Amino acid sequence: MDLFPLRLSLQVAVTATALTLLVGLPIAWLLARRRFPGRDLVAALVVFPLVLPPTVLGYYLLVVIGSRGLGALGLELAFTWRAAVLAAALGSIALLIKAAQAGFETVDPRLEQAARTLGRSEWSIFWVVTLPLAWRSVLAGTVLAFCRALGEFGITLMVAGSIPGRTQTLPLAIYDHVQANQMAEANLLALLSIGLVVLLLLGVSRLARLRF
Amino acid sequence: MRAAIVLLLAAGLVLAGSSPAAAQPALTVFAAADLAVAFREIVPRFEAAQGVKVTLVLGSTGNLAMQIDHGAPADVFFAADAAFVDRLVGGGALIPETRALYAQGRLVLATAKAFGSKLTDLRDLLDPRVRHVAIANPLHAPYGRAAEQALRRLDLWDAVRPKLIYGENVQQALQFVRGGGAAAGIIALSIATVPQIEWTMVDPTLHAPLNQAAAVVRRSPRPDLGAALIRFVGGPEGRAIMKRHGFVLPGEF
Amino acid sequence: MLSVTLTKRFPGFTLDVSWEADDRIVALFGPSGAGKSLTLGCLAGLVRPDAGRVVVNGRTFDDVAGGVHLPPQARRLGYVFQGYALFPHLTVAENVAFGLRDRPRAERRRRAGEVLERLGLGEVAGRRPRELSGGQQQRVALGRALAPDPEVLLLDEPLSALDAPLRRQLRDELGRLIREWGRTVVLVTHDLAEAYQLGERLVVYDAGRVVQAAPKAELLLRPASEAVARLIGMRNIVRGTVVKASPDRIEMVWRGRTVEAVNSPGHPYLAPAGTPVAFFVRPEYARLLRKDRAAPDPAHRMNFLTGSIVGEIDQGTAWTLLFRLDGPGEPSQGAYDLEIEIPKLVYEILDVGRDRQWSVTMHRGALQVLPSG
Repeated sequence: MDLFPLRLSLQVAVTATALTLLVGLPIAWLLARRRFPGRDLVAALVVFPLVLPPTVLGYYLLVVIGSRGLGALGLELAFTWRAAVLAAALGSIALLIKAAQAGFETVDPRLEQAARTLGRSEWSIFWVVTLPLAWRSVLAGTVLAFCRALGEFGITLMVAGSIPGRTQTLPLAIYDHVQANQMAEANLLALLSIGLVVLLLLGVSRLARLRF
Repeated sequence: MRAAIVLLLAAGLVLAGSSPAAAQPALTVFAAADLAVAFREIVPRFEAAQGVKVTLVLGSTGNLAMQIDHGAPADVFFAADAAFVDRLVGGGALIPETRALYAQGRLVLATAKAFGSKLTDLRDLLDPRVRHVAIANPLHAPYGRAAEQALRRLDLWDAVRPKLIYGENVQQALQFVRGGGAAAGIIALSIATVPQIEWTMVDPTLHAPLNQAAAVVRRSPRPDLGAALIRFVGGPEGRAIMKRHGFVLPGEF
Repeated sequence: MLSVTLTKRFPGFTLDVSWEADDRIVALFGPSGAGKSLTLGCLAGLVRPDAGRVVVNGRTFDDVAGGVHLPPQARRLGYVFQGYALFPHLTVAENVAFGLRDRPRAERRRRAGEVLERLGLGEVAGRRPRELSGGQQQRVALGRALAPDPEVLLLDEPLSALDAPLRRQLRDELGRLIREWGRTVVLVTHDLAEAYQLGERLVVYDAGRVVQAAPKAELLLRPASEAVARLIGMRNIVRGTVVKASPDRIEMVWRGRTVEAVNSPGHPYLAPAGTPVAFFVRPEYARLLRKDRAAPDPAHRMNFLTGSIVGEIDQGTAWTLLFRLDGPGEPSQGAYDLEIEIPKLVYEILDVGRDRQWSVTMHRGALQVLPSG
């Protein structure tokens, strides 16, 4: 039984979640703490990937990163595992942003003000006050985003294709097995997916209970 | 400290530029879903004969064509409709000299054995006991389009349309019938020989001919291999296999 | 040395104030919602004014016209928030050391330890804020603000989160602490006793404006207007008409009688006869005359009134008597004309509970004229 899809999916999901955190946390903080022109537009755009059909998202992403887009500039993104990462991140970032934003908003702004009067920079305040006090929401959002990334299908199919041994992630492999009526393989991979997610959730809830 | 974590994350992303270990395919074949069964036989023979490793990617013709248009790493494209190939040739994605008609497909009306009685005519789809009918998506799958053409030809489209469920490709349409989601379906003959269903041929004059063409992708680093596969499919060994799976061969149409 | 000129507009409320203070401890006093905390926020740089200038000890914190706004991090001040805003996820020691980031670790620990000792928090240094009492939390907030050795200390309602008995005790401690500390303090409170005990100069706020800024004694002695008098809780604010105004006294007609009030030699209120005027009578300076004593010589500087007690309020250690003047006409304050305050002992000796008809004398100093406005 070829376990390449499992390895690929793990790598894609971890990388996508890291990318999501890197891009999503600042956006979540901006939405929670700053008024700026176009704020409502940004907030709406964040929800976009959640409401658009995956194939539509996938198509437009392909136009951007394919041979008629960034590919023409020499960037090899489409139909590689990197495209799968982008697809997974795009599909899951809204979950992280919404959860993190809600978490940041519940942090008493006076605590941040106190930190300012005590001489701390905005960067320091985020890491020492805001994030630690919102860690539960951020963790929940990260877990959600990771699971979503692990299960990403429609966008990935479009921009990465389901190329066995190259970009065929776990969900794509399950789909292909089902289409070929190879139910035994499909079931095994599906069970592996579920097992992975259950382990992750158990681990995370254990971690959440350890802290105060 | 936190700056370190951020840098680590970013570095991880950059370093992750290396793809996970995978066997490098020697030939990537994009093939229409109706070739699923036939190519399961053809590909191993070709691999043995040429000593290459083939990666087979199946999908709906329209989707695959679109992906090739946007740089998909296919070496050769076997479509279920020559029009898609010709469009890509016109656009420059496929090498015109390699374009070849390799088969003509046949449409069948499939009934799930679990349904009880075998449907023999498209008009049988009007039966109220038939609640769902699966076809490939007419928008991008040639067999789906042919199914729609046939239904319209017999003035059945409006009545049957509410019952239709679309598969992403003709293989998924088959899966709906096989899995019990649909009592019947209009699919490709070449994939219909499965234990769970019975089928009847659909009159080919009811739809435009399913002329299936193939061509080598211009971007391919091994165009000679792709051309060799096209030749193989059109050669004596390939033709015999294709015929056995219900295709009509060049020379016969 | 503080110089504050601020304008800040919100829908439904505008802050428009200007005051200066050379004193060390300034109390911003006034009712809730008057703009005191907002002013403090501007002083701290947490709120940006729409217009104005803020200069503290020679440093320009804000100059809107000149495009200057010093961020809070650069102002070197300590801020104690209402409700303390202690970091719940950090220990007491970590809270106190929070502003010491830019110092080497050893010095950080030493300084934090010093502050904790001084405030009696050594034993709870490892606890979290939610495990502490209100009084302890207040001390942690103070310690955190003072540890980085700021130039100015800002206190926003430092005692209002505490129960009354504790508040009294901590008010004394706080007063001692800020006097010992020796640097500029600006505190905000709606409690006059607190402002009076802790502050040197009082700035009185009302609906976004400053109605009087003065050293505390002057405020109590000479409220600038009827409005200020009401704000600082003055009682017996009544109205009369000027008969004759001279630099040291004012003769007025009130409820058909002639009374005399002091005028302030520094800023005398010299209005022509017939001008309506407001004045207040200090309830604790009105004296009930013993029945066995003769009426005072009118030539003395005493006001003399007769009337009856129509109600009384038990204040615990004293009685507030509601006194209605004899004669026709509507009383000045609803059912009565004057509130008179007498200690319980006097109440019992004079048998006020039974005997309700009285003559009252008031030295002219017990009456204070309030300029209109």
